[in-house]
Amino acid sequence: MPDDLSAVKTGHLRIAVDIGGTFTDLAAFDETTGRLLFGKALSTHDDLPRGIQNTLDGAGVLCSEANLFLHGSTITINTLLERTGARTALLITEGFRDIYEIGRVNRPDAYNLFFSKHTPLVERALRFEVEERLLADGTTYKQLNEERVRATARTLKTLDIESVAVLLLHSYRNSAHEMRVKQILQEELPSVFVTASHELSQEYREFERVSTVAANAYVGPRVSEYLGNLETHLENKGFKGSFYAVQSTGGLFPVAHARRECVRMLESGPAAGVIGAQAVARQLGLPDVIAFDMGGTTAKAGVIENGKPLTSSSALIGGYEKALPIQIPMIDIFEVGTGGGSIARVGKGKSLRVGPHSAGSMPGPACYGRGGAEPTVTDANLLLGRLDADHFLGGQMKLDPDATQAAMKAVAAELGLDAIETADGILRIAATAMSYAVKAVTTERGLDAGKFTMIVYGGAGPLHASAIAREIGIRKVLIPYAPGYFSAYGMLFGDLRYDYVRSCFRKLGEASFDELEAIYAEMEAEGRAQIATSRVNPNDIVVSHAADMRYVGQEHAVTVDLDGDFFKQHDRAAIKAEFDRVHDVRYGTHAPSEPADLVSLRVTVTGIMRKPPMAPLPKDGSEASVALRGEKPVYFRDAGRYVPTKVYLRDRLRPGHRIQGPALVEEHASTTVVAPGDIVDVDDFGNLLIAIGGASK
Amino acid sequence: MSTATPRTVDPVTVEIIRNGLLAVTEEMKTNLMRTAYNLIIYEALDFTVGLFTTRGDTVSIGLGLPMFIRGMSETVKAKIKHYGLENIHPGDILVTNDAYITGSHLNHFTFTQPIFHDGELVAFACCMAHWLDVGGTLGTVTTDIYSEGIQIPIVKYRRAGVVNQELVDIIAINVRMPERAMGDLRAQITAVTTGERRFGELVRRYGKEAVLQSIDIMMDQSEAVARENTLNIPDGVYEAESFMDDDGIDVGARIPIKVRVEKRGEEMTIDLSDVASQVRGFYNSGWTTGIACAQVAFKCLTTPTEYPVNDGSFRNLKVVMPMGKVISAERPFPMRVWMTFPMTVIDTIFKALAPAIPNRSIAGHHADLVFPYIHGISPADGKLFIVGIGPLGGGWGAKSGEDGVSATVCINDGDTHNSPTEQLESKYPVMVERYALRQDSAGAGRQRGGLGAEMVVQALSPFTLTTRIDRMHCKPWGLAGGHDAMGNSIGIRTNGEWTEDLPNAKVFGVRVKRGDAYVMRSGGGGGFGPPIERDPALVASDVKQGYISAEKARGAYGVALNENGAVDVATTQALRAAMTVPAFNAEPVQ
Repeated sequence: MPDDLSAVKTGHLRIAVDIGGTFTDLAAFDETTGRLLFGKALSTHDDLPRGIQNTLDGAGVLCSEANLFLHGSTITINTLLERTGARTALLITEGFRDIYEIGRVNRPDAYNLFFSKHTPLVERALRFEVEERLLADGTTYKQLNEERVRATARTLKTLDIESVAVLLLHSYRNSAHEMRVKQILQEELPSVFVTASHELSQEYREFERVSTVAANAYVGPRVSEYLGNLETHLENKGFKGSFYAVQSTGGLFPVAHARRECVRMLESGPAAGVIGAQAVARQLGLPDVIAFDMGGTTAKAGVIENGKPLTSSSALIGGYEKALPIQIPMIDIFEVGTGGGSIARVGKGKSLRVGPHSAGSMPGPACYGRGGAEPTVTDANLLLGRLDADHFLGGQMKLDPDATQAAMKAVAAELGLDAIETADGILRIAATAMSYAVKAVTTERGLDAGKFTMIVYGGAGPLHASAIAREIGIRKVLIPYAPGYFSAYGMLFGDLRYDYVRSCFRKLGEASFDELEAIYAEMEAEGRAQIATSRVNPNDIVVSHAADMRYVGQEHAVTVDLDGDFFKQHDRAAIKAEFDRVHDVRYGTHAPSEPADLVSLRVTVTGIMRKPPMAPLPKDGSEASVALRGEKPVYFRDAGRYVPTKVYLRDRLRPGHRIQGPALVEEHASTTVVAPGDIVDVDDFGNLLIAIGGASK
Repeated sequence: MSTATPRTVDPVTVEIIRNGLLAVTEEMKTNLMRTAYNLIIYEALDFTVGLFTTRGDTVSIGLGLPMFIRGMSETVKAKIKHYGLENIHPGDILVTNDAYITGSHLNHFTFTQPIFHDGELVAFACCMAHWLDVGGTLGTVTTDIYSEGIQIPIVKYRRAGVVNQELVDIIAINVRMPERAMGDLRAQITAVTTGERRFGELVRRYGKEAVLQSIDIMMDQSEAVARENTLNIPDGVYEAESFMDDDGIDVGARIPIKVRVEKRGEEMTIDLSDVASQVRGFYNSGWTTGIACAQVAFKCLTTPTEYPVNDGSFRNLKVVMPMGKVISAERPFPMRVWMTFPMTVIDTIFKALAPAIPNRSIAGHHADLVFPYIHGISPADGKLFIVGIGPLGGGWGAKSGEDGVSATVCINDGDTHNSPTEQLESKYPVMVERYALRQDSAGAGRQRGGLGAEMVVQALSPFTLTTRIDRMHCKPWGLAGGHDAMGNSIGIRTNGEWTEDLPNAKVFGVRVKRGDAYVMRSGGGGGFGPPIERDPALVASDVKQGYISAEKARGAYGVALNENGAVDVATTQALRAAMTVPAFNAEPVQ
């Protein structure tokens, strides 16, 4: 796409599309009417743009009327997990060909003789060494042998390589050799995808960096082709606006950039959900929020502290033992293998285990009637009356309570319990497992989860929100408007975002501020230049600074947000004091008298986009009873029996309505369980605010 | 089964408490790792945290080091015995680094905090972690415990909430890097207080009876699994032997390791009476580690994935072991390199049981940390630096149905990480020239062993090198006709010339000049089954990937390849016809 600002955009729609494993979700904002539109269609993994078009058609949204198209997709992570990426080669510093295979040599499953470790995305025969060497200070120990690189490139040509990754030691300190190698490869192999590690990460740790660049190379050709096809598809449909992809930070970047740094889209959907939670929190003036998303196979939690999502500098993809690390900034999202499809089994010694096995969509829970014989979390919800056999997915799918009963009784008999106790037990075990996941994210940062509001979305989230909140000690839960479309909705609130990190080992007491400022200035200038090339004029550009710091002698560093003025004023004491404070919050201890090291410097350059203004919905003075569908028995443990429970329809609830638990609130793709004692208020924007145990605000 | 009181807790609550206990030990681990000062704790995860009953039995261990499966519990028991439960009060924290109690070396400071509920003792939280330096002589083989550093008997670090500052001062003046030691000490206190707080919350939430009964039930469940998986091992007596290279003093004097396993019904006895006696060099470990050898092997074979790790898993295991063995050493025998020999004891137990349970056992592995230490004066600040460069990771043995895993930490270690080269070079005056897999290091077999690794480290400023590596001569063995792998080894480069003919892999205090280098090599894993039964296509693939050479393919596997690297079928058939499958003993000893 040309970087042409003169292409005047007349569109009035902002479209966001999130492709998930099962569904493709759409959220669109109409700038002229102020209306939000939503759509959902099955994902079409053989031809993703078709699924997108189905979603657009279903919602009656025309691309030709859009000025913005925002997009997140599971294609990157699926390509990695399913190993369906490109035939990839790796070029790496001489002597280090095997570090991608050796990894960190750890063996987490310590007593299991049948353990295994990660499988590299690039086989050993396609890993080639580059004659060169830099030292830790960035100086050259051995010159780059360019001829040998060219010879390797010619070898690659004969091997039908589609993609090449480049990792040279200490390129975070000096990227000259990596840049030159990339240039030579591009000259020799013009049709091959080439990516160098410093473009993605300028942090030390060579295994993590090589894993990151190899992943980018591996997914690159497929993701880039997909984005290109989608772009063409949209243009053919008359789209004249700007096309942005969502990064794992929740920030947006132009599609041209996304096509080169595909791995940044890894967690685009989950990240967008957290951005949506951030938008809701901001609107309601809530500084500290947990974003909780539960679907069919997993539950995910992110944390927003002081209005900002907590971020992490890396993630492990594909299970801890066999994980491939990806070292890029991303929203810190903790995942636990508990979802609606999690299977309950009797373990050795008559223990009841919930998950990690999942029934998936085939056969699915027993109640799907597709042959699943083991009870799942969804079956427990059906048996206890929380789900309705006739109103699941708006009645599109009938559930089979008899199959659920049979499956549940089989497990119950083994445990010496009845079916109800077993179903209730499954929900309690699931809730505690998920609550530990949430607590792990917060306690790891030294935060008290009980003080947060929890925003809950995803198909299965609202069923369990009240129970999880009780486990954690959370008093306030919010079920947003349209929880089933939340990632797409969150994209509408994204900003253009560029993150930079440079590892730079210095003692804080001795570091030269001229040097630090120069590094910060360089990163900031790069971010501003990137934003300048985007086609949208952001309202404002915000630059934030941070540093990874540790006490001298410590290994692990903490990221400390720092006021840029500290550096301008050469205020070492203020930087140290802020580090001490953050260390104390996170670890409960600090050492103000001990010196600190700088490890890496970080800059985030954000181009603030206009957000859909969220207008309050009108109040009509009615009572919640207008939304009442009926009453049914639902089991609640505290009552010890099935309790007559009112069932409300979400789309008929209006601001000002109040519901006293026990109650169920049903909507198309989700059901909210309101436990006895909970009070729900529908706020001005249609969100359900649940006061757990009726706690006052 | 252990308790007489009727159990009223339901299976759902047990499961919730199981998850709760795992979460407590995980959080203890998280808080320790993130606050620790030294790389050995943070990157190498040389620590263990856990919760223990009021008797000192293990409730849940957050690894850490698998070998500490016994030592922590025994240390808690020793502390209980020393003071008597009645003299342990709220706010106390007990400490020791007594090597003959922990079973390991003086670096392992172990802190224990009692957990009270309504004034009643309900459990203990405990944290062992490796301090980088505890004083003592550097760069040589120690011959008694007194030369290995400061010894702290069982004492109270904190008494009713008041820290014993005199004790802290005594420790601080005896260690080389007191600021690091004190940082690690604080991290360990964070870990045990986390355990105390979180376990207390569980008890308040679910009630003391429910929690304690759940713990009993979890242990019974682990026991049931252990019994089931012992019962299905054929009854018999199984024996095996191996040896260690030497004790670092009597170079070349082999140290025999003999084990005898008796299996009857649901019970197993591991007899370590014929393991060698304690040695003059610092390779001894204490009796808790001797027991741990048997327990680790037993757990790997019976309850490998049963969590949390608890003492129920070992109720049907009896260990016979006299004191005074190299794995049950007595004061003042030196202990600094306690972790090396026990690994071979464990592997020898696997070897003994391999004929009985070939599908559950594993061929020999490199069985050493391969973790050299260097010290010198940093040109950057003129101060002493000490750093261990490793663990290198080595080959693991093949199993009856799977190839061995390459370049992975030995069985003493668990979720232990190596140090990134980019970090090492940023902090210390060294340059890593090479970190690579060793071609042909794996034992050939129908299932191939894993590959060992090698690392070449050049001095950018002079340093002193100490390596304490064993298993150069006793090579990781194959099973059921599989071949042995290459062993561990070292080499030193002086003025461009490599010295490779060292008598063992142990060098103590060798000066390495600027520009000189050392190479550290880890062994591979043994093979499983006769190599000539390996699918020739897999052999061809191993050659293509460079895991084995074409010569090895031909010589060991009887596979010939053509110029394209494809299998030459006719020649392969001829080669294999001329090779015979060696017989191996598949019967129990009696």
